[in-house]
Amino acid sequence: MYQRKSKFERTAGIAGTILLVVYMIFSLFPLVWMVITSFKSDVDMYKTLFIFKPTLENFKNVLTTGNYVKAFTDNFIICAGAVLISVIVGVPAAYALARYQFKKKESVAFTILSFKFAPEILIIIPLFAIFQTLHLYDTYLGMIWIYQFIGLPLLIWVLRGYFEDIPVEMERAAELDGYSWWSVFFKMLIPLIRPGLVAAALLSFIFCWNNFTFGLMLCGFHIQTITVSALTYIATDTVHYGQMAVASLIAIAPEIILCLCIQKHLVRGLSFGAVKG
Amino acid sequence: MAELRLNHVYKMYENTAKKKRKAASLKQGNYAVKDLSLVIPDGEFIGILGPSGCGKSTTLRMIAGLEEITKGEIQIGDQDISRLHPKDRGIGLAFEDYALYPPLSVYDNIAFCLKAHKLPKEEVRKRVLEIAGIMKVETLLEEKVSALSGGQKQRVNIARALVRNPDILLLDEPLSHLDGKMRQILRGEIKRLHKMIGCTTILVTHDQMEAMSLADRIAIMKLGVLQQYGTPEEIYNDPVNLFVADFIGEPPMNLLTVRVGRKGETPVFVLKNQETIKVPRKFYPVIKDGEEYIIGIRPTNIEIVNGETYDALLEVDVFENLGEEKIISIRIEDTFLTIVAEDTEVLEKGDKIRIKMKEDRFYLFDKTTGMRIREPERR
Amino acid sequence: MAGIRLKEITKTYGSVKALDQISLDIKNNEFFVIFGPAGAGKTSILNVIAGITDPDEGDVYFDEKNMNYVEPKDRDVAMVFENYALYPHKTVYENIASSMRTKMHRQPQEIIDQKVKEVAELLNITELLERQPAQASNGQRQRIALGRALVRNPNVFLMDEPLAHLDAKLRNFMRKELKSIQERLHSTTVYVTHDYTEAMSLGDRIAVVNEGKIVQTGTAGEVYEFPGTEFVAKLFGDCEINLIPGQVVQEQGKLYLKLPWENHRCLLPEDVARVLREKEVTTVDLGARSAAIEYFRTPEEGCIQGQIYTNEPLGNKVELVVKAEQAMIRFTVKVDEKFQIDEKIYLRFDMEKCLFFHSDTKEFLTRHQRQTVRGGRGNGRA
Repeated sequence: MYQRKSKFERTAGIAGTILLVVYMIFSLFPLVWMVITSFKSDVDMYKTLFIFKPTLENFKNVLTTGNYVKAFTDNFIICAGAVLISVIVGVPAAYALARYQFKKKESVAFTILSFKFAPEILIIIPLFAIFQTLHLYDTYLGMIWIYQFIGLPLLIWVLRGYFEDIPVEMERAAELDGYSWWSVFFKMLIPLIRPGLVAAALLSFIFCWNNFTFGLMLCGFHIQTITVSALTYIATDTVHYGQMAVASLIAIAPEIILCLCIQKHLVRGLSFGAVKG
Repeated sequence: MAELRLNHVYKMYENTAKKKRKAASLKQGNYAVKDLSLVIPDGEFIGILGPSGCGKSTTLRMIAGLEEITKGEIQIGDQDISRLHPKDRGIGLAFEDYALYPPLSVYDNIAFCLKAHKLPKEEVRKRVLEIAGIMKVETLLEEKVSALSGGQKQRVNIARALVRNPDILLLDEPLSHLDGKMRQILRGEIKRLHKMIGCTTILVTHDQMEAMSLADRIAIMKLGVLQQYGTPEEIYNDPVNLFVADFIGEPPMNLLTVRVGRKGETPVFVLKNQETIKVPRKFYPVIKDGEEYIIGIRPTNIEIVNGETYDALLEVDVFENLGEEKIISIRIEDTFLTIVAEDTEVLEKGDKIRIKMKEDRFYLFDKTTGMRIREPERR
Repeated sequence: MAGIRLKEITKTYGSVKALDQISLDIKNNEFFVIFGPAGAGKTSILNVIAGITDPDEGDVYFDEKNMNYVEPKDRDVAMVFENYALYPHKTVYENIASSMRTKMHRQPQEIIDQKVKEVAELLNITELLERQPAQASNGQRQRIALGRALVRNPNVFLMDEPLAHLDAKLRNFMRKELKSIQERLHSTTVYVTHDYTEAMSLGDRIAVVNEGKIVQTGTAGEVYEFPGTEFVAKLFGDCEINLIPGQVVQEQGKLYLKLPWENHRCLLPEDVARVLREKEVTTVDLGARSAAIEYFRTPEEGCIQGQIYTNEPLGNKVELVVKAEQAMIRFTVKVDEKFQIDEKIYLRFDMEKCLFFHSDTKEFLTRHQRQTVRGGRGNGRA
């Protein structure tokens, strides 16, 4: 209520801005450094220089030799498959958790969420054994199956909130209008949860894309994920940091492009309910 | 303690994005409150009434000191309090939502501000018990706030506002969260409370019934501008414009657009559906032939008559029997002319009735400005 | 276009009995109101009729056809929900047209167009058709929801508190609108409300519901003039009925009612006395609405003395609460009567306008039969 801003407030404002800028540089620098590295030749690698002779040698190496392109497509197939399955499983699961009353409902919901609690490394040995026995090791099916667990809890919990926001009367109204249950689901409910669905599916995709542990331990000969393939640039004699940087750079490209395309959905989807206003 | 005065008070919100939109919707020069002057005599009960967004809560918050004043001043007696900190203004405020401290007991809630002022324990106890007695919450003092019902919470809330002996008690929609029955009871209690402690009280509400039944004087606001300030009777029987006429009264006043025409020699109001109503003699000097006006008359001020002197002959559209009252509605294009009668025979749709308006309760409004057109004073 | 019959419907949720042996007989083309306080089970009854809720026991009949195992969508009922339940992602036009887009009620585009426009005109929402429901005001949303139901020609209309969320003025207006389009519906309508004015105004008949049971069924006149229990009497009327315990005493062959004020007794009208004698009742609760209370500023014969506790002017009338010893008596007077708080006032109960209830069972016993009572003669009991 005493409006005139004091000297203190003004200084505090400036100090705050400076702090934020410093923080921004701190968090963005690794990315910048990665971009710079990707254009350096191995000779310049260990010099902390910003002035050097840029080269495309690393790009050429990564894209033409080795199996980087194969890893990229593999990764894409696995992630897309995993997201698809988690949507097919997650949407009905979320609906059931939101709408129906059944015993131990909250426990079930919590159990699903708890998949995210344990570090992956903790369960990797038993998983490895199971995969060996079931002959899932190093197969697309196995990888998709394990990857869909990464995004599923998130998807279910986000969508459950969305379904709960839709008044149950709206479904009843549609039913009384003469729609069958399936058309109520696809014509009324799915359009309403779409923002959440898009956001959650995208996040799942990103989590899968970035996963390292499962890719490292559960496949390796026929299938290779890009996170693991980046590892191959650590040779016995030297580490090809330039090529590794290129590999990472290409790996994050789809994520960045996806995010930019549906940024609006992402923000809205994770912050708003479906039937507000 | 002396009277509370608001002198040409303005309020404009700062340009944050959200408030900007709010301000933009206020056509009146983007003010949330505009040129508000009120004199509130000591010990009176004032109701500030208006629809949502009319600036009534802003006004209350400015008096309390929770909101800064853009222009103008607020005085108690001769002292300008507009720049005082809220805690130094001697004001007790009870909010719409209870704003009690949930983990504390009722006693601690009421005692909270006394303790903050570091009063001796004995003194605190005495005050709390006294106020609890007045608000009838003595038996609840040890309860946790979360265990109380809505009505009880609001009592505690008012008790908390009263405990520091304020000069002015501000109530912001104190009854709006309560159900009908509880609201009725607490309304009576608040009225008695005011009579008992005689402290200047300002009530903000959007419920005209509440304002009418509680306040000694009502200030009606619309879009930040004061429309009328007067006793409930004045406001009910002598509205200054269409807005006030329409806002006050349940069922609402009949407001109908008419054109002045002639039936033989006598001037008549021609309704939208071409039916006519006789123009009362008192309006003869102020009406012009062919002009459009809005006429207003309350449903209770229309009588159904049998004799030969009547103002209009109309066809019943809806008849409702509500026990003590019967409501008769006559469709006039997209609206109804409503009549409330205590005793009448059962009517059917299509029945013709003769009606007579109470002449001194028949109002005329300008169609474009909405201002009341007053008949010349009778000598 | 069907009569509805509910037979001993019972529904429990966990340990709560939501509906307890509900039996109703709703006639073809009747406007039937289900009225009661919040949580009485009104909406549950509607849901049972619509088929949304399956009752634990009992049968639902449309005309003579048992509907117990018929899916909601095949019952051909249209429902207006309390929260409107509009489809937020569709335009107003599509909301109203939605039923005609389904396999069951599919119509060619021209007919859809014509019907939607017709309904929109009736409800005065033509200019909203291209908007989204989110852009409509509360009152408009309510009308859209109504339109979505009216556009069909169903067996039964079910309306769940459709006016509850409107402000007083609009509610007033819409109530009359509903009443005036009532005869154009040509369908059985079941209307749920907790507002007694809506119930009395709209209902051909009213069923009063409390705690999952039907307390009374009858026309508006019947439930108002001859309420089955004290509970029903309390629900009807702006100013709640006053209930005063009294004792029936006999003196010189005449029956008097002794009220809880010293030496205060009233002579009972002949017909009331006869019924009380027949039923051998000695203690009653006297039910007095505003109309049954006379008031004076000076002591009069047969009056009790009281003080004004609160006075609340409400425009054309003033609501008074009078404290007479322990009792609080609430009634309304004309606005011209000015009373100050704590002023003395003298009250008399007009026995010919009072209701008499059994003081133990709280059930209606009798009242004086006026010649002018319309619509609801007879004992008026469910």
